[in-house]
Amino acid sequence: MKKNYHSILFGIRLPLVLLMLFLGFTGQAQELSQVSGKVLSAEDAEPLPGVSILVQGTTRGTVTNMDGDFTIQAAAGEVLSASFIGFETTQITLSSGQTVYEITMEPALGDLGEVVVMGYGSQRRADITSAVSVINMENIGDVPTTNVSRLLQGQAAGVQVRQITGRPGQEMEVTIRGIGSLGAGSQPLYVVDGFPIGTSLGQNLNPADIESMTVLKDAASTAIYGARGSNGVILITTKSAKEGVVGLDFVVNHGVQNVPDGRRTKMMNGPEFAQFKHDSFVDRIRYFEQREPDLEEIPMEFRFPEQTSISTDWFQEIMNQNARFQNYNATLTAGKGDVRSLVSVGYINQEGAVIETGFERFNVRANVDGKINDFISMGWNIAASHSREDYASTEGRDALIGRALWADPRYPVYNEDGSFNDYIGGTNGVFGTANVVQELHEMERTLTENNILTNGFIEISFLKDFKFRSSVNAILENTAQKEFRPSTLAGTGFNQAPPREARLFQRSFESLNIAADQLLSYNKIFNEHKLEALLGFSAQEETNKFLSGNGNDFPNDVVRYLNAAIQQTSGSGEYDWSLMAYFARLNYSISDKYLFSASMRREGSSRFGANNKWGNFPAASVGWRVSEESFMPQTNWITDLKLRGSFGITGNNAIGNYSSLSNMRISNYVLGSTIANGQILSNFANANLGWEQSQQLDIGLDLAMFENRLILTAEYYNRLTNDMLLSVEMPVISGFTQSLDNVGQVQNRGLELALDYQTRINQLNLRSNINLTINRNKVLEIRGENDEIWSGGFYSVYNVSKVGRPLAMLHGFKMEGIFDTEEEIDAWPTQDGAIPGTYKYFDANGDGEISYDQQDMIEIGNPHPDFIVGYTLGGDFRNFDFNLMFTGAFNYDVMRNIEATTMNMDGVFNILQSGVNRWRSAENPGDGRGATTNTWKWQRESNSRYIYDASHVWLRNITLGYTIPQNTIVPNARVFFSAENPFLFSSFPGTNPEANRRGGINIGVDDEAYPMPRTFTLGATVRF
Amino acid sequence: MKNTIKKYAAILSMGLVFGSCDEAFLNKTDPTVLVAENFYQSETQVIQAVNGVYGQLRPLHLNQWQYTEFMSDNTTLHFNPGNRGSGPSLEALEFWQYNPATPNITNLYNSTYGVMVNVNTTLSKLPEANATESIKSRSEGELKFIRAYLYFHLVQHFGDIILITEPVASPAEAFTYDRQSVEAAYQLIIEDLSFAIAALPVSHDADQVGRATKGAALSLLGKVHLTKKEYPQAIAALNQVLPLGYDLLPDYADVFDPQNKNHQESVFEIQYQGDNQYGVNSNFIYTFAPRESNGAVIDFPGQEGGGWNTPTLDIINSYEEGDLRKEVSLNEGYTNLAGVFVPVPYINKYNHPHQIRGITNDNWPVIRYSDVLLMLAEALNEANGPSGEAYGYLNEVRERADLDPLEGLSKDAFREAVLHERRIELAFENHRWFDLKRTKTTTELVNFLNDYGLRERANPTTSREGIPFSGNDFIFEAHEVLFPIPQDQIRINPSLQQNEGY
Repeated sequence: MKKNYHSILFGIRLPLVLLMLFLGFTGQAQELSQVSGKVLSAEDAEPLPGVSILVQGTTRGTVTNMDGDFTIQAAAGEVLSASFIGFETTQITLSSGQTVYEITMEPALGDLGEVVVMGYGSQRRADITSAVSVINMENIGDVPTTNVSRLLQGQAAGVQVRQITGRPGQEMEVTIRGIGSLGAGSQPLYVVDGFPIGTSLGQNLNPADIESMTVLKDAASTAIYGARGSNGVILITTKSAKEGVVGLDFVVNHGVQNVPDGRRTKMMNGPEFAQFKHDSFVDRIRYFEQREPDLEEIPMEFRFPEQTSISTDWFQEIMNQNARFQNYNATLTAGKGDVRSLVSVGYINQEGAVIETGFERFNVRANVDGKINDFISMGWNIAASHSREDYASTEGRDALIGRALWADPRYPVYNEDGSFNDYIGGTNGVFGTANVVQELHEMERTLTENNILTNGFIEISFLKDFKFRSSVNAILENTAQKEFRPSTLAGTGFNQAPPREARLFQRSFESLNIAADQLLSYNKIFNEHKLEALLGFSAQEETNKFLSGNGNDFPNDVVRYLNAAIQQTSGSGEYDWSLMAYFARLNYSISDKYLFSASMRREGSSRFGANNKWGNFPAASVGWRVSEESFMPQTNWITDLKLRGSFGITGNNAIGNYSSLSNMRISNYVLGSTIANGQILSNFANANLGWEQSQQLDIGLDLAMFENRLILTAEYYNRLTNDMLLSVEMPVISGFTQSLDNVGQVQNRGLELALDYQTRINQLNLRSNINLTINRNKVLEIRGENDEIWSGGFYSVYNVSKVGRPLAMLHGFKMEGIFDTEEEIDAWPTQDGAIPGTYKYFDANGDGEISYDQQDMIEIGNPHPDFIVGYTLGGDFRNFDFNLMFTGAFNYDVMRNIEATTMNMDGVFNILQSGVNRWRSAENPGDGRGATTNTWKWQRESNSRYIYDASHVWLRNITLGYTIPQNTIVPNARVFFSAENPFLFSSFPGTNPEANRRGGINIGVDDEAYPMPRTFTLGATVRF
Repeated sequence: MKNTIKKYAAILSMGLVFGSCDEAFLNKTDPTVLVAENFYQSETQVIQAVNGVYGQLRPLHLNQWQYTEFMSDNTTLHFNPGNRGSGPSLEALEFWQYNPATPNITNLYNSTYGVMVNVNTTLSKLPEANATESIKSRSEGELKFIRAYLYFHLVQHFGDIILITEPVASPAEAFTYDRQSVEAAYQLIIEDLSFAIAALPVSHDADQVGRATKGAALSLLGKVHLTKKEYPQAIAALNQVLPLGYDLLPDYADVFDPQNKNHQESVFEIQYQGDNQYGVNSNFIYTFAPRESNGAVIDFPGQEGGGWNTPTLDIINSYEEGDLRKEVSLNEGYTNLAGVFVPVPYINKYNHPHQIRGITNDNWPVIRYSDVLLMLAEALNEANGPSGEAYGYLNEVRERADLDPLEGLSKDAFREAVLHERRIELAFENHRWFDLKRTKTTTELVNFLNDYGLRERANPTTSREGIPFSGNDFIFEAHEVLFPIPQDQIRINPSLQQNEGY
């Protein structure tokens, strides 16, 4: 079913290689003389290998060898630039006659002078008074990924990045400083090149195009995005041409992915399952009828389990153990002259670890900016992408992965004639289901997306210190989805044997998001005073439209369009929102020592009630660079010390678009045998619905020591979310059980520590970063005291938010073991349906009965980690470089809800292989985890039996690189090996301790999802 | 298109002059639906609002069997030891194991008040609507009929109930309502029905058939009075139905045939339409057909039923020899695809051919003329003993079923005969539970149900595949005559009193 663009690309490959060669040679076309030299470290006068030497303004470059020596073609008057990690870039101008040079490089003074992208502007790092993490792109390694969210993983304190499934193209789940909202979302706002694109990155940014990322965490830095600042802001800047640099970069990365054995759930094989079913028939007669069963009472298919000849591992059957990963990028930068431009093209193709799934994408980008004269400059970025995913429904018990686990293993994938065996199970109580392999092969499921992201600006400088900048941003997105389920497949429910009516679903979606900002800024330095002022206006609007159709019952499975369907239905719709804001900011510093910043944003959102559309979001921060004080001893080990504090208010409007209004909805009837249109109320109106607000206090310390070799950042924050946008229960006599209101308060307090260290031992350069996040979350108020919110379900998992406890704690029955005897049952509080071998539960309310409802359910798990850690170790030695990245989360619980199925003793599902150690008798009680086969109650309800500690450490990425010594064909090249997600250290029995399909406040639930592959790639970067 | 361009031009230029923006930019309404504030104004909108209320009766009646037939001795379930999915919460009703957390009772309570808000909102907006008086009057009659019908069910299920007749203005206001006495509920029901009787026509134009009629309101009023044991008033109301032109159809099977909807015997039925995907269909047989029937009962490949509302051996055995209604109402089993007879009974009344899997065309009968006749027989007997008139109505119903007329019964025996006749004639039409409650004292009902329960436990209608009953299954306690008020409602509003025993 899969179509692939790769074949088209293949034809392009050869010309590409030729082009590379051609460009390689054109560099030599000029008449030049040979210049040689040596690069030394100023610190210890040791030679520096691996230093990049570039003739400025040309594509000529080289790298120093082991002894720090280099030779290059250059002419007198040209400038040689030497750059190396950990050292200040050094330039020398070549004079005529001299052909040998010695370049000494000073160790870098670190990042203090570095300019950091902030909301609506940028700031020198030394001047920043708020909590901001800058992602060090160098620490990320050459990760094989399709999604930019991956680049955030493990890189910043306070930022939790979870890879919830292994689905190709999957965006990761990012949470900054904890879950701050019960009702509205908790995702951060993403801002790309100044354009707030929303709370999802989507799949259309090319990771290769990213220049830098800044995470704004406290209110002082995010309040300027008032509306959507509450959950943090991630600023992403795409690459642009560097001043004076002209170059062409190629990146090629190829590899394979597979799911290691340790990340698979082991189920019973054919004979084991037959034995289990056999026992369930025997056990039932023995217990309820108190006699030994006759052989004939056991269904024929289970009578002789050991004779079961077929043993299908369905999970294995749907794995693609050799899934390819390919990525190509070419970037041309031209940084000479008044107009600078960058053009990049990229192609990525990731086959899924599940057969017949995959993701591919084309990207193109052009970033152009330039000066028209001394007063006017302009810039325009445009990025377009086309992506296509062959997807499958993989999440949850009844989706492919779940069914691959519980499907009857005694059935073959194929019939003897090679055709698919189209119905699995369905006898003697075992649920019948579709053949998952057949479903993956025969279903057509594609999602294509075209995306254009563009932004432009014009900036006018006037009256010396003033600047006016006007910018326009837009995203245009089109998606098309198609799902065809042919008649040959069994139904999606239980026991729905084929053939069925074929079904088709098609949907096209269009979204246009357009925003305009007007910024007026004033910058002035007089004596020791530095002043930066900003006034701004911003407006944004998004409109979404969709058209969808369903077809049911097709004359054949060949023509897969709506027109062919015997029954057709269609639908269309549209929704939109708008925002408008005025804002101002003032940064003021005295002697680079005392730093002040204040901002204010007044913002209106179309989503709120008529009475509460506008919100005010003020913030202020102060910083004190203690190290600049004269009383500080001028030791050489403290380079910089800054104390800072901030407070501010931010907002959240992540609710439905029209939630404040009461609307009508369709409720049709039949009158006189024709359909009569009927309308009823859809919800309760709340004209007072207003902003959810967060107040956040942040105290931070920045310490740089030993010439910036060691940089420590520590933060304490206290964030209170008030007036939460929450569905509040109301008496149903009003017609509705809930209405959306502003109620309650949630607190997130935490500590963040980040430590950067770099050093050089002979020729080995080492750098490491460790970041640690401790967040504590607590519900302070809901509507009244002792109030609680239950979300989830009785036959699933409850997340309960109670006043005084962290939000969304896992609730359920508490399992206290297994009943071994009737006497034990009699001595225990009444538990309906209990027999020896079934689980016994805690009588929480002490009324002598385990009631089959919520009364005896208690807190059984905490889904919030005590702390999370990211650790990066990188470095280089001569021409070799390496980077290792770990992430970890400790002491938190996940409910393996899938075990309510895979440890369900009803005999309707295949069960975990560990089920062979189930309870058989008081003498043979098994491992204490598996109940008797007689169990038919007390196993699917939310309960502590499925709670596991999900503490873990992932080795997320290993990158090993080798820089090829300069040669005439490729002036600057590096090859690398990268392993993504290679090792997971955890006692968690599931396949991914970060599983979190349900999202929102239904956290800590593992329903089994798309398995997490590991990826091994080999790649090369070539620069001309 | 032009407007769109203008709009974007506006966004772009906005703020070039600071503050020149327009508040209208922030006023967004859902373009795909109507805003309630602006609704209920024209005649069309009034009619649509009333239709919407009827529309809500569709889903309500897909589940009504759970609280009536299923609780009685008429039906049981085909126990499924495997799938405990939605099973246990439904089983709570069948086995009388319900408690304040039972989800299906909450569903009943919530969905009933979910209709009420639309009844009350429309009623409150009617006076100001720009519609003809005849439409306003008809609409008010229809809405009050539906309100009376729903409260009648609610009061029988829950006893004292919250009577709400106006939309609430704020969530806070909803907390101020308390439960009112059964008597107050009946007073409202009778007032509403009296209004409906006066306002509703005897019949509607062909293109409006399906709306409530005077006959429906009169019949319901008769049933209300019968329930309150106000026999003269019941007789008076029901007598007024007789001259309205209703009659029994000669063939019982035709009564349920979707080709024959809204026939002469139909007083009020819930309208569904199948063979299309407009979402106004029924699906009763998909719930009622046996679990493992695999296309043998519902004629689609591999199609299973839900295995719910299964006719009990008790009702199967209570049919008189030669009763023509038996094979229309139920089947005692089916022949599976392998040609083997499987003795799992199922309701056959709503089993008709249809074109699309899952989408049936069957209407749900709420009031039939035979119900009116049997009510009249019951009321006359209670008022004056078994008169010739009472025998006439009872025997008219028996005659169609090809059964001998009854005669010479005592008053008590006649009461039993009517109750039995109602059980058979109106089998699986959601009358049985209320019939039992109406004709028996609580003690009698407790004994009656526990006797039935013992029989069903000893000899279950369908196999339980070796799984025994739980200790409390089929044990009926006196307080279970009323459902508990759903736990959620009391949790958020503790001033509400729970029914005794829960």
